[in-house]
Amino acid sequence: MKRIAIVGMPNTGKSTFFNRLTGSSSRVGNWPGVTVELLSARTILGSEAVEVVDLPGIYDLHGFSDDEQIVRSFLENNLVDQVVMVLNAAQLDHQLPLALQIHRLGMKPVLLANMIDEADQLGIRIDASALSKSLDCPVILISARNGSGMNEVRETLINRLRSGDTVKPNELKAYLHADDELVAQAETLISRHVSSPSRLVRKMTERIDRVLLHPLYGLPLFFLTMFLVFQAVYTLGAPLQDAVAYLLQSFRDWALAPLASVMPATWYGFLVDGLYDGIGTVASFVPVIILFFFLMAIVEDSGYLARAAYLTDALMARLGLDGRGFVMLLMGFGCNVPALMGTRVMRSRPLRLLSMLVIPFSLCSARLQVFIFIITALFTPRQAPFILFFMYMASFAAAFLTALLFGRRLKSDEPFVLELPPYRTPVLFQVLMRGWHEISHFLRRASTFIVTGVVLVWWLTHYPEGATPGGAGTYASMMGEWLKPVLEPIGISAVMSVVLLFGFVAKEIVIGAIVAMTGLEGAALNGYLATQMDGVQAISFMLFILLYTPCLSTLATQLSESRSWQFTGVSLSWSLGLAWLASFSFYQGARLLGY
Amino acid sequence: MKQPEIDLTDLSRLGIGETAHITGIHAPDDIRQRLQAMGLRTGREAEVIRCTRLGPMQIRVGSIDLIMRRCDAARVTIAAKK
Repeated sequence: MKRIAIVGMPNTGKSTFFNRLTGSSSRVGNWPGVTVELLSARTILGSEAVEVVDLPGIYDLHGFSDDEQIVRSFLENNLVDQVVMVLNAAQLDHQLPLALQIHRLGMKPVLLANMIDEADQLGIRIDASALSKSLDCPVILISARNGSGMNEVRETLINRLRSGDTVKPNELKAYLHADDELVAQAETLISRHVSSPSRLVRKMTERIDRVLLHPLYGLPLFFLTMFLVFQAVYTLGAPLQDAVAYLLQSFRDWALAPLASVMPATWYGFLVDGLYDGIGTVASFVPVIILFFFLMAIVEDSGYLARAAYLTDALMARLGLDGRGFVMLLMGFGCNVPALMGTRVMRSRPLRLLSMLVIPFSLCSARLQVFIFIITALFTPRQAPFILFFMYMASFAAAFLTALLFGRRLKSDEPFVLELPPYRTPVLFQVLMRGWHEISHFLRRASTFIVTGVVLVWWLTHYPEGATPGGAGTYASMMGEWLKPVLEPIGISAVMSVVLLFGFVAKEIVIGAIVAMTGLEGAALNGYLATQMDGVQAISFMLFILLYTPCLSTLATQLSESRSWQFTGVSLSWSLGLAWLASFSFYQGARLLGY
Repeated sequence: MKQPEIDLTDLSRLGIGETAHITGIHAPDDIRQRLQAMGLRTGREAEVIRCTRLGPMQIRVGSIDLIMRRCDAARVTIAAKK
């Protein structure tokens, strides 16, 4: 199969173009370096199937960050039939040197001047055909946001692929020195083929920034925004979740239960009360998660995250991190794994390790499900938002404390320089893609981790034969007994401690496991939970869940990104220790105070 | 003829709205490489859009806006018109 690689700087709309070309889902970030996984997708060009790879956004082909190394080694080690470079048409002066670097390496790129609508508005005029002639490679003006120019891109790519040359980059390192010459060449090209007003005026962005980056109320406004986002997830998500739970329940009552009633009782218990209810309860949280990612996608695509980095950098500098680290923490609220990968933009290893140590404390969407589940069961609707807010604060506190403690050992000289993109209206198409991405992500997890976990927990809580399901005498309660010396001082009952063991693999299992274990649902389940823990125990349990470790995937990502068992080990033991200490102090403290 | 007085200093000394030409970057190779790739190249004009006492500065170079810490801005030498 032929292969196309997409390269370009951050903030050029590379991912939007990738989605346009392939119709596949990828995350797009309006802040430098968010798209870091090597996304690839298959598409049909002409009559041929083509693999399209979206490489990380980079500023420089021979820089020293991991991202830049990833792009270099990808190009050196993979056969690529065509390189496509996406440029921001409003910043050609800044971006053409990279295009020339790529050209100089003999990769014959197709250059796409993206965001041509934005450039138009700013009064920038690009003579594409003249530029194309001077550069001896196609230059196409496009807008990936609204799809203009995409047909021409497809035709050009089909023709190019038909000609059949593969790109063999010349020895990359041999060209390390020619930079100044390339910059001069870029400047000549710009002055000949691009006309732009002497001063670019982005009135809208400047007006918004005057408010949102205000030295006094910029930061409070940011926290207010984030608070509103989380509040909206909770208030809008709860009814959605009820609706899905109702649908799943109806299906169970009207179709599944009558059909399954012919089975022996054990099988019925396993399939319906265990597996179906367990996974169904987890699935009922999917709308909440989708809502969360919708809202995060809007914040991200608007360009506000780079502002968040600006606003929080002074605070983060004191913790030995920088503004980007804060943004990664925010990304971690969705899922820790991409946030960990996002640290690839950092050049300095100590800074990267410190950021990767801190990110797992971000209260990710999987943990959010568990918290909403427990909070709804055990607290009044009035208390609920405050308890959830408290969990978010605890998440920040754990991250900051970790940075403070480890920052001294992980010092870095990394410069903090970040591009501040103009504000952009999020594209609905992109945001929807994101929602779909989350659903498919959930289905993948559901079909592997969650099913296995739920089945195992069901077995552990129903066997050996003759034991009271979910009660004394089961394998689960035996395991609970072993864990008692550790978990009793923090107020976690024997039965719940088994759930924690499985929560280690993935937090979604926690909910599924509680349902499968008890065979209960809805109000009856809430009643059961109330017998297992009171308010203080519930908060202690949630603190432990928040801190002890995000999930196996996060741990695996930490290992693959740091390439260090030692680092991963330190991170795991620190979070386990911190979780126990935090829960212990909270639980014993609250009990001492008489709660 | 009287020459305009030129003061060699660094980017972190500029105030809001002031502009200057970049004359060089004083940093280890890899850091200089990164700053240059982000647009801070010799000969370009830089303008300070925003700066506060504690937080980073916002600098405009050509068509892009950068945010950078004061200590990193101090690595960029400029020729400021007085």
